[in-house]
Amino acid sequence: MQKGKVKDLLLWTFLAIILGLAMSFAFLPLLGVNPIESLKIMLMETFADKFSMGNILVKTTPLILTSLAFAFTYKANLYNIGAQGQFYVGCICATATTLALQTKLPGVIVLLCAFAASVLGGGLTGLLIGFLKAKFNANEFLVSMMSTYVIQYVLQLLLRTVLQEPKHEYLKTQYIDSSTWLPKIIPGTSVSLGIVISVAAAVLIWFILYHTSLGYRVRVTGLNQDAATMSGINPKKMCMTAFFISGAIAGLAGFTEINGMQHMLLTGFESDIGSYGIGIAIMANANPIGIIFAALLFGTMQVGGTALGHSTDAPASVIDVMLGFVMLFVLMSFFVRHKLEIRKMKQQKLKGGEA
Amino acid sequence: MSEAVIELKHITKRFAKVLANDDVSITIHKGEVVALLGENGAGKSTIMKILYGLYHATSGEILIDGQERKISSPKEAMNLGISMIQQHFSLVPAHTVTENIILGNCKGKIDLKAKEKEIDGLAKQYGFDVPAGEYIRNLSVGTQQKVEILKALYLNARILIMDEPTAVLTPQEIDTLMEFVKSYVAKGNSVVFITHKMKEVMQVSDTIVVMRNGKICGTVKREDTNEKELAHMMIGRDLENLQTPGQDDFSDRKERLVVEHLTIRPEKQAPVLDDISFSIHEGEVLGIAGVSDNGQQELCEALYGAANITSGKITLDGKDITDTNVKERIAMGIGYTASDRYRYAMVADMTLSENMLLKSSYLKEWVSHGIINWKKLHQYTEDQIKKYAIKAPDHNVTAGSLSGGNQQKVVVAREVDMGHNVIIFDQPTRGLDLGAINYVHKTILSEKEQGKSVLLISTELSEIFALSDRIAVMYKGRIMGIYKNGELTTEKIGLLMAGYQPDKEELK
Repeated sequence: MQKGKVKDLLLWTFLAIILGLAMSFAFLPLLGVNPIESLKIMLMETFADKFSMGNILVKTTPLILTSLAFAFTYKANLYNIGAQGQFYVGCICATATTLALQTKLPGVIVLLCAFAASVLGGGLTGLLIGFLKAKFNANEFLVSMMSTYVIQYVLQLLLRTVLQEPKHEYLKTQYIDSSTWLPKIIPGTSVSLGIVISVAAAVLIWFILYHTSLGYRVRVTGLNQDAATMSGINPKKMCMTAFFISGAIAGLAGFTEINGMQHMLLTGFESDIGSYGIGIAIMANANPIGIIFAALLFGTMQVGGTALGHSTDAPASVIDVMLGFVMLFVLMSFFVRHKLEIRKMKQQKLKGGEA
Repeated sequence: MSEAVIELKHITKRFAKVLANDDVSITIHKGEVVALLGENGAGKSTIMKILYGLYHATSGEILIDGQERKISSPKEAMNLGISMIQQHFSLVPAHTVTENIILGNCKGKIDLKAKEKEIDGLAKQYGFDVPAGEYIRNLSVGTQQKVEILKALYLNARILIMDEPTAVLTPQEIDTLMEFVKSYVAKGNSVVFITHKMKEVMQVSDTIVVMRNGKICGTVKREDTNEKELAHMMIGRDLENLQTPGQDDFSDRKERLVVEHLTIRPEKQAPVLDDISFSIHEGEVLGIAGVSDNGQQELCEALYGAANITSGKITLDGKDITDTNVKERIAMGIGYTASDRYRYAMVADMTLSENMLLKSSYLKEWVSHGIINWKKLHQYTEDQIKKYAIKAPDHNVTAGSLSGGNQQKVVVAREVDMGHNVIIFDQPTRGLDLGAINYVHKTILSEKEQGKSVLLISTELSEIFALSDRIAVMYKGRIMGIYKNGELTTEKIGLLMAGYQPDKEELK
């Protein structure tokens, strides 16, 4: 029975994705673009060569992490909208640490330090939001959202001052030394160890949530705060813990992006992954394992959408329309499936009653 | 019998997943008291809500004075002379009695003075002592119920439906209510009494309709039946008789839980707990009687470490535990079944196994180095499902999908194991059916036999009398007195529950 349910879920989700894509392609003629042609281009460009296919994984890496960040607090019935900001803090910490240590220590050690710094930086940013919520009952939704703007400006400031590249021409840092790059795992692509790290993070978060007493307490607090209090669980402590872990995961995305992909920090960099993360988490129903697949879907569509953008007349924002439609249909499929299940149960009961 | 006022014919009501009423036919005659008897979830309230227009029947018809009617809203029901008093009153606390009664039945400019007079007159007519100009929030629960009745009378109701009207009343208030019912039907009106208490049924009704699992399983005249037969009809089997606690002397046994001068006084307010002192020995059940909301929940929370105590001292086995928190008290072996289980004692969206873990996430029982041993926990949960006869397919279903009685069994099963020293039962049988009540009572007595100390809080006097060794009565946060079981009569306990001190009066 459980197996049948999983099969159902996969089938329905697949159908929803197809339907969502079909709907969004149906809009293309309005923009004067031939949808069949576009579909061809999209598929060709995305799956034509190893490099573009690798790009899917590259895009997926940070999306998994920002989405996990949202999902973890969501389980505690809290809303961390500021994964984008925590990601930037992670970027800053990873870059600064790497730049400071890169020639003095061996690469592996520098990588470990950058890793720790980004996780800690993101975590502390999250903790601050959690603390404000626990101590002053500040609205975590607003605080986390606004914190992103503050951090963006701090990032600008740093890029104009201490972190700016030696020539002081552009708003970016200098390249980090190649000894501190995360190793590539698939030759001929830019896929680094980052994807492994983020998939491992998803598995770890799943384990924490469903197999440890800490995760259990987070979930109890999220589902029934009064029962949690009456069971000796301190909801304020749980709020701060959840925000710390959430921020740490988002910060980790900074590490995989800087040391794994970009190798430098610049302004306005990956400015959408926070909001995409929320969408992915909702689509995966905040299930850490589901997030891996939902992020992969988003990653694929991003690569396809970019291809569409530069090979046809369609505007680049067409990809957002597509993502929107796919998400809408997947969410609708959850609802329809639920309805059908209830109807099935009803019919079974009726039959049982007559027999 | 006189003519039939209402005939419900072959009513069937289906909710999404359950069949609440299955081919139910009831006839109500003029001048008759019909008691609808059945366990919780038997479909008593549902059938009456259909008559009152709150629900719509899936099939079947309603005849009023011999004519078929469709009742699609309470407004239409009221126009036909049908009124229903819900289990939870629908009064506005910030308004006066008069304002509440005329609510929804007045237009344009209101002459409050005239209305007040009219309502005073109506109250006198039925011998109700209800001040028409008083605010609802200042009235006792018993008086609030009278306001609800007046609301119905004001609309000239011929048929009054009362859903569990006695649940919140003291014994004296119940007597007043019964007298009203008798005088009301004497005037040619009819009353439908929804209840699961046998005593009231035998006291007041003419016809008794017994329901079980949404079906009618018997319609009998009161003269032709007895309590035992009714109980058998209601649950489909006989109840086991429980051994009432004897007059054991506990003075030679160890005092386990000692409470001294416990007071909780919120700033600038009357104290919710006022200088409470008592002790519970090993193997003893201390019952606390009282009308609900007289400080019982605060007392439980104080004993469980979940409330801020203003002053006082709590000792467990000679150790001062006043300053410990919930987590520490759980570890000391104190169990607590909160009266509002849905809010405080379970997580509806979690599985039964996860609910079993609720109180012990900090203990070593199923958690080692922070990792949960699900296999062991699932096994334990399966064992508990068997031991307590919980109606659940397996440990993997959510607690919210179980019926109230089975949810309570889950909570009791957990707390009985958590509380290896003291168990606090706050209204452990509220909302349960007779079979489950019997089961919980047996559990309480067997835990006591094992030497655990039990604090039993209940608004049901029969429960207090059946299980307690000693009985304390609470009123407005104070303990009115602690007595041995057997020293108190129902009348005396009723007076204590209402705040009178009969002994002191006599001493004067």
